[in-house]
Amino acid sequence: MEHHDFVTHNSDHYEGYRSRALDQRKYKDGADVCIVGAGAAGGVLAYELAKAGLDVVVIEAGPFWNPQTDFASDEISMHSLAWQATRLVDGKNPLKMGHNNSGRGVGGGSVHWTGVCLRFHEDDFMIKTVDGVGEDWPIRYEDLAPYYDKIERDIAVSGPKHYPWGAFNGPYPYPVREPISANSQLFREACEKLGIKTEVAPLAILSAPFDGRPPCINRGFCNEGCLPNAKYSGLIHHIPKAIQAGAEILSDCMVTQILTDGNKVTSVVFNHDGQNYEQKARVFILAGFVVEIPRLLLNSATPQFPNGLANSSGWVGKAIMPHSSHDVYGLLQEEVRLYKGTPVLALTQDFYQSDQSRGFARGYTLHAHGSRPMHMATALATQRADGTMLWGRQLRETMLDYNNYARITLVGEVLPNPDNDVTLAQEKDEYGLPLAKVSFSYGENDLKLIDHAVQSMKDIITAMGGTPEHVIQDTAHLMGGCRMGSDPTTSVVDGYGRTHDIPNLYITGASIFVTSSGSNPTNTVMALAARTADHIVDSLKQNNL
Amino acid sequence: MYKSSHYPAYDVWEQHQEWDEHTRKIVGKRRMAQVEHRFFQQEEARLLYTLAGVLTNEIGDHVLTYITQHIDNSTDSPIGESQRKVGVPEKKTLYRMGLQGLDELAQQKHQQRFVEIKRPQQEDLLRLVEQGQAPMTPAWQQVPQKDFFKKLLHDVVAAYYSHPAVWSEIGYGGPAYPRGYVRVEKGLVDPWEAKRDGTS
Ligand SMILES: Cc1cc2nc3c(=O)[nH]c(=O)nc-3n(C[C@H](O)[C@H](O)[C@H](O)COP(=O)(O)OP(=O)(O)OC[C@H]3O[C@@H](n4cnc5c(N)ncnc54)[C@H](O)[C@@H]3O)c2cc1C
Ligand code: SF4
Repeated sequence: MEHHDFVTHNSDHYEGYRSRALDQRKYKDGADVCIVGAGAAGGVLAYELAKAGLDVVVIEAGPFWNPQTDFASDEISMHSLAWQATRLVDGKNPLKMGHNNSGRGVGGGSVHWTGVCLRFHEDDFMIKTVDGVGEDWPIRYEDLAPYYDKIERDIAVSGPKHYPWGAFNGPYPYPVREPISANSQLFREACEKLGIKTEVAPLAILSAPFDGRPPCINRGFCNEGCLPNAKYSGLIHHIPKAIQAGAEILSDCMVTQILTDGNKVTSVVFNHDGQNYEQKARVFILAGFVVEIPRLLLNSATPQFPNGLANSSGWVGKAIMPHSSHDVYGLLQEEVRLYKGTPVLALTQDFYQSDQSRGFARGYTLHAHGSRPMHMATALATQRADGTMLWGRQLRETMLDYNNYARITLVGEVLPNPDNDVTLAQEKDEYGLPLAKVSFSYGENDLKLIDHAVQSMKDIITAMGGTPEHVIQDTAHLMGGCRMGSDPTTSVVDGYGRTHDIPNLYITGASIFVTSSGSNPTNTVMALAARTADHIVDSLKQNNL
Repeated sequence: MYKSSHYPAYDVWEQHQEWDEHTRKIVGKRRMAQVEHRFFQQEEARLLYTLAGVLTNEIGDHVLTYITQHIDNSTDSPIGESQRKVGVPEKKTLYRMGLQGLDELAQQKHQQRFVEIKRPQQEDLLRLVEQGQAPMTPAWQQVPQKDFFKKLLHDVVAAYYSHPAVWSEIGYGGPAYPRGYVRVEKGLVDPWEAKRDGTS
């Protein structure tokens, strides 16, 4: 039987559908909008702007995946979905990059994300005002609320009827997921014993058919790319719709330089198969995520912009933040089978609000979190928080009990610190561009928060009747590096993502975050992108660009 | 006493007809790994094979061959390493010099190559490198011991827990597309999953 799966069906970019010759491309002589990066934010912008009638071209470094033939139910081989090009890492807590936080290819990080779809809380936008730490955003929760509504509706987020934390208390557009996995059940029961509220996680994963896509089949491989297309990704939702609305996606095309004339961007240079091309447009939007956007801006320095484009403030690349993301693995009498079901099906945000009595500012979310053998075994071998490594007989025998482990994972707020940054290294890549150097060290507040969260996770494991056996140190997600702000001397973009220095250059995605919050970031990434889209459409109408 | 598998009767590969074709191909290849190294020399590959055995406490030839082959492929590949700590040499140098360092260590302590000494002695030497306490020899001047050990351990373990024979040992249900998992709640298993009492 011939496969007409959702993606190929909607794409003019597969062999047989698209001309391989890049000089035959649709907007060769110029587009209204050129978006660099087809990830979570780039996809939303591509669709919204194309729908508004603009000529949109999206340039994406990685491939245009076909889930049916490119994805597999396999951990190690699906690291192909990650941005694997080497980044140098430094600092007291050098980050694990690649699959851990960076996607590459159409859909970007949304292809191998876990699909947990949370809103930030009102306080998250004003932590300086509320707690005297970090920085306030130039926008407030209310500015994003309509866009959260829109995104959650557009992608059919499933979630509980009542969500007990933050400004939005449900209901979610799609029914809550049911049934939930054993690990999530155990988590919820244990929390209840301890008086901790829990809920089934709001997920960008279908609980019922939507838009030609089927509901989740609980295979558990969200971080390897969803084969049935039950999980949202830009690859299967926004990008195909953008193409239908007229946008062109140039995949396998790496943008290497931004060209300017005066204080306007005129074009970007991209490399396809060793050959350089130029793309002109009226407006440019950088959506290449936390590391590559600063690298591109810094690498595009000119005599007029000697410190890199859009960097008069010196803030390009600064104040990047991961989430602290320690795990606790607990050994139980009964079988849990962490491989089954959507990885995250339950969570608590009872520890989210700042609470002075805890001795640190800000807070965190805890997730009941599945795990597959490779991920778990490499973590036990090389990432234990006490620094010991498991190997040989000890590791082998520990892993024999794989099915009896439960796991809880932290998503903890990390405060912004300008010393945590992306800079250029000496070493060059295949395009002759300096590699990115990514430095990260936790601050004192971050470490206190982690200690508190690890204790909470241990308590929950114990309440399950289990023994907390392995504490794993890890991080998740990345944010910041081109933060927004109202003051052009201490921020890179304004509240809409427009760079302070260059009127026709925008930045979108996780890189414009001012603070990290204790929530998974991508709902906010997409809501910000949708808000920027509205702003660009309005500005173009008023001829302001 | 040695612990053994809770699921001795379970073989996840028996389910492979239920898997999608792409997954089946990828996982199936691991069961038939051939020695055809491109990056490592014969002697280096033999050492790597030995190390894989010590680090995973495994003696099965096909699994160790697969690990060796996997690391040869990824070391040879032009694809990046995702991240590399400042001050640590790139993966090709790290492996080449690290392996040389282990042989230098074995020569110094036992006047033999690493692969020729006994398992407990091999473990002792690895423990020194894990702690960064092997005596300085030419190789360790170029690569930091702990970073080499960690990279080696990571890569060996990642490959090991990607082998279907090891999935069977730990009772991992494995790939589940297109059929998915139906019984996901506490105490429930799908008919084809590993069972403790040996039925499967
Ligand atoms: C394993 C994992 C699990 C996650 N789970 C969750 C979760 O459960 N919930 C949640 O909220 N978030 C989650 N995330 C985070 C989420 O993936 C990111 O927040 C989100 O993808 C960021 O969106 P973005 O548009 O800023 O960047 P991305 O989605 O990363 O997109 C950037 C795109 O730009 C491309 N690009 C970069 N540079 C260039 C260039 N020079 N030229 C051309 N193209 C370029 C890249 O290839 C990439 O496709 C997870 C991430 C990972 C890795
Ligand atoms: S668990 Fe569900 S959403 Fe995740 S990959 Fe599997 S089918 Fe897709």
